[in-house]
Amino acid sequence: MNKILMSFLCLSIGMFSCNEIKDIEKEPYLRWVGDIQFDEEIDNPDFKLCYTDNNVRQYFNFSKGVQYKGEKPAIDKYFLENYKPTESKQIGFLRIRFIVNCKGETGRFRLKGMGQDYQPMAFDKSITDQILSLSKKMDGWLPIEMEEMNNTPWDYYQYLIFKIDRGNIIEIMP
Amino acid sequence: MKLYLSFFFLAFSYNSFTQPNCNYFLNEGDTLKYEACLQTENAKGHYQFSKEYQIAMDKAIKIDPTFAYPYRAKSVAYLKSGDFIEWKRLIDLAVKYDPLGNLGYRASCRYQFFRDYGGTIIDIEELLRISNADIGHSANGNYHLQVVRALCYKALGRKQKAIDLIETQLQAEGYVIGIYDYIHLGVLYLENGDLSNAKLNFKKQQDYNDLAENHFYMSKVFKAENNLKKAKIELQKAVELYEIGYVMSDPYVHPVDKIFWSMIKVEQKSLN
Repeated sequence: MNKILMSFLCLSIGMFSCNEIKDIEKEPYLRWVGDIQFDEEIDNPDFKLCYTDNNVRQYFNFSKGVQYKGEKPAIDKYFLENYKPTESKQIGFLRIRFIVNCKGETGRFRLKGMGQDYQPMAFDKSITDQILSLSKKMDGWLPIEMEEMNNTPWDYYQYLIFKIDRGNIIEIMP
Repeated sequence: MKLYLSFFFLAFSYNSFTQPNCNYFLNEGDTLKYEACLQTENAKGHYQFSKEYQIAMDKAIKIDPTFAYPYRAKSVAYLKSGDFIEWKRLIDLAVKYDPLGNLGYRASCRYQFFRDYGGTIIDIEELLRISNADIGHSANGNYHLQVVRALCYKALGRKQKAIDLIETQLQAEGYVIGIYDYIHLGVLYLENGDLSNAKLNFKKQQDYNDLAENHFYMSKVFKAENNLKKAKIELQKAVELYEIGYVMSDPYVHPVDKIFWSMIKVEQKSLN
């Protein structure tokens, strides 16, 4: 019964919001906290890892900070120029987590939203759709590598957190 | 060398905050916490993100649900992966069962990872209220919590309050200067138009832990004084230090007042 209700809710809110709810649900432990398994319903099948799921690293394993062409200011500029503020009363944080493969391509995007009280919150579709779409179009992610491992580029998890205030992005992290 | 040491401390501090001495609980007669503590030792050798680590901590919580340590230990992976909801649920429980030991940690993570300025201030001020001792440092060891508090007030537009807090902390007896304290204070003075105090602090930073940011902002001071010759010299020093990696750094987030190439380019253009 619960599954039917959840499916109905997901369908009625839309695919991306469903994605958000799905991420909030408790999962049994995977290999690592935050691992994103391929989901044929929402993930682009053309996005391929260079290695296996068990070899995806974390962004901070390389200790180099965010690796993006033009560094953090380029990320800020991209969203500042392309995100269109919307009519909304919501204030909170929206996190988008994804994988950057060894070629700098991205995939398996997952959203998670919360209010100022750190409780789950589904953001308006006008906000999530834009941020998801813009994040998918970012083309400056760089593969990262570790000197200790012969400078081989690895697949890694990256996230961005958007601080949202009434339809506006006011800060982007990390 | 100082720079490398700070990197090491930063990377180290998140991964291994103090494992409690289980015998302490035994001596206190708290056998339940002793058993739970022994259980957390099963996580040793496992990566904090791994299911083996998480399960070991879950088992400890099952033995004693009032034991703060495993909640905090579990929370770290959620923090680093950007799962603010599960992180907050777990760290709130750690704070609930040991506020003195965890309020400062929660505060600095709220600041560092989520730029939750208001929430950070509330946590630090609550810690000040309940603590009789020095309130300690941020999770990464880079800042005293009073400096974190000051940076939050700055972000909320209260720059003079931020200056006062940092100046007071610098004068505290036995205070060990943070690796970026003078840069932040100098930038605050610069933004407030107090060029002389800005310069003073950038000079102090230069003697202590010279970084590209320090010269970048010093260049801005000279530019504001219309001394373009010195402004160019300082900016060139910033470029040289930037190129060899002597910059403000944090593997997880971008520190406040950190500079980037694009900022240097804009300054170079403005000085030509």
